[in-house]
Formats: sequence, structure tokens, C-alpha cells
Amino acid sequence: MSFVIVAGFCFPIVPVPAHWYQFPLIPGLEEKARIIFFHVPTAWLTVIAFFFSTYFSAKYLRNKDWQDDIKAYASAQIGMVFCILATITGSVWAKFNWGSFWNWDPRETSIFALLLIYGALFALRSALDNEEKRAQLSAVYNLISFITVPFFIFIMPRIMTGLHPGSAGDEGGSGPIVNFKMNGNMRIIFFASLIAFTILYYWIYQISSRTLILIEKNNRKLIEE
Amino acid sequence: MTFVESIGSFLQQNSLYIVLIIVLVVWLGIFSYLAVLDNRLKRIERNEEIEK
Repeated sequence: MSFVIVAGFCFPIVPVPAHWYQFPLIPGLEEKARIIFFHVPTAWLTVIAFFFSTYFSAKYLRNKDWQDDIKAYASAQIGMVFCILATITGSVWAKFNWGSFWNWDPRETSIFALLLIYGALFALRSALDNEEKRAQLSAVYNLISFITVPFFIFIMPRIMTGLHPGSAGDEGGSGPIVNFKMNGNMRIIFFASLIAFTILYYWIYQISSRTLILIEKNNRKLIEE
Repeated sequence: MTFVESIGSFLQQNSLYIVLIIVLVVWLGIFSYLAVLDNRLKRIERNEEIEK
């Protein structure tokens, strides 16, 4: 993680990279291209966290174990945090690359819809008092809402013309920016960044879910007494 | 030139600092989530004290 931060910041950007520590110049992005090491992993973690949230929701529906419900909740929370972070960092970048903080680019619209969908999950959870009902309803809602995630994150911004790198109108063809504009060194650091962020997610998730389970166990003990 | 305008033009010329802002935002987000976790742990500790 530290290596990614240092490398992402300090490696010089040159038009024709000759050494392993140099990045290629991407027209229209220049120095700002470096945010790919920090902004994209947050979006990636959103997908990972929501995926594991859905996995535990499905597990809950099969086994009816309340710990799975708590795990799904913890993971969805982290997904939400990183979804908000991806939106904010994206909009800061948009201010300087596109001229305004928010201009309803397909990418921005899709992440906004995702925020709303998962915001509704937390509203649903806080609205229900009955524990079993809450766990069941939110698990079913979670399963349904995850269907939209790949569409919003991967498909919709790619099939529509937009300003975001990698969208259909982008010069050099649509598709993930990884394939056609990054050189080998940049790709290594990019994937190192993805892995580092994934490990960070796992760590935070462990702490968060274990704490939540402890709280729930305490509550149950108090109720029994 | 107002303060905000001068900051804006400074960032336009030194776009590396935009990356710095973005990393700071990510860090703030992670930090605030950790603070939330800290509060939860405090709640557990308080519960245990009550039990004693």
C-alpha cells in the first residue's frame, strides 16, 4: 500500500517511457492520470464489498444464521463508504478535468443510482424493528440490488458516450483503460494497488463484522437475563 | 482575484496537487469509518462494565 502511494506519486510521467519507473503520457490527463491508482480501487472495492455482502445474504437465506446477516451488513457498509469515496474523488477530478463538480456524465449518473439503491438498503434496515424480518427482507433486497451493480459499474458507462476515460466516445476505442493506454509499469502498480486495497477491505471487514457480532451477542445475553 | 480563484488556478497549473486532494479524501473516508468502529468497540466495553 505504501509502495503504491509512493510510486503513484513520484514516478515521473514522460512521453516515451524508457525505464521501469516512468509512466507514459496520456493526452488530456497528464499528471491527473495518477488518480487511477487511488480512485479506481475505491470503485473496485465497492463492487467487491457489495459482492461479499450479497454472498452472505444468500448464505443467510439458506442457513438462517444471524451471523451471516451481520456479516452482509458489515460488508455492505464498507461498500457504501467506498462508493461515496469513489463519487467524491471522481467529482473532485471532474472539476479540474471537465470543468464542474457534477455534470451527469453516464458514469456519474450510474454511481449516483448505485448510491441511491444501497442507501435504500440501510433505510430499510433501520426501519424494521423485528430482527428476523429485518434480516430476511434486507437479504432479499440485497440479492436483487446486486444484479444492478455489474450493469451500473461495468456495462452502462461503457456502452454510452461519455467523458469518463473508457467510455464509448473515448478516442482509441471503448473498453477498460487498462488495456490500451497504460504501459507495463503502470499496469503493475495499478494491479498492486487493487490487491493492496482488497487486502485493506478484508482487514476492515474482519474488524467491523467481528465488532458487530460481539455487540449482537451482548445484546442477546442482556435480553436473556 | 479572490482566494478561491487563486487556489483554483494554482491547482490547474499544478495538477499533481489534485491527486494529493483525492488521496486525502480517500484517507479521510477510511479514517472516519475507523472512528465509527472505535465507537462500536466503546459500546461493547461499556456494556461489559455495566455487567460487572
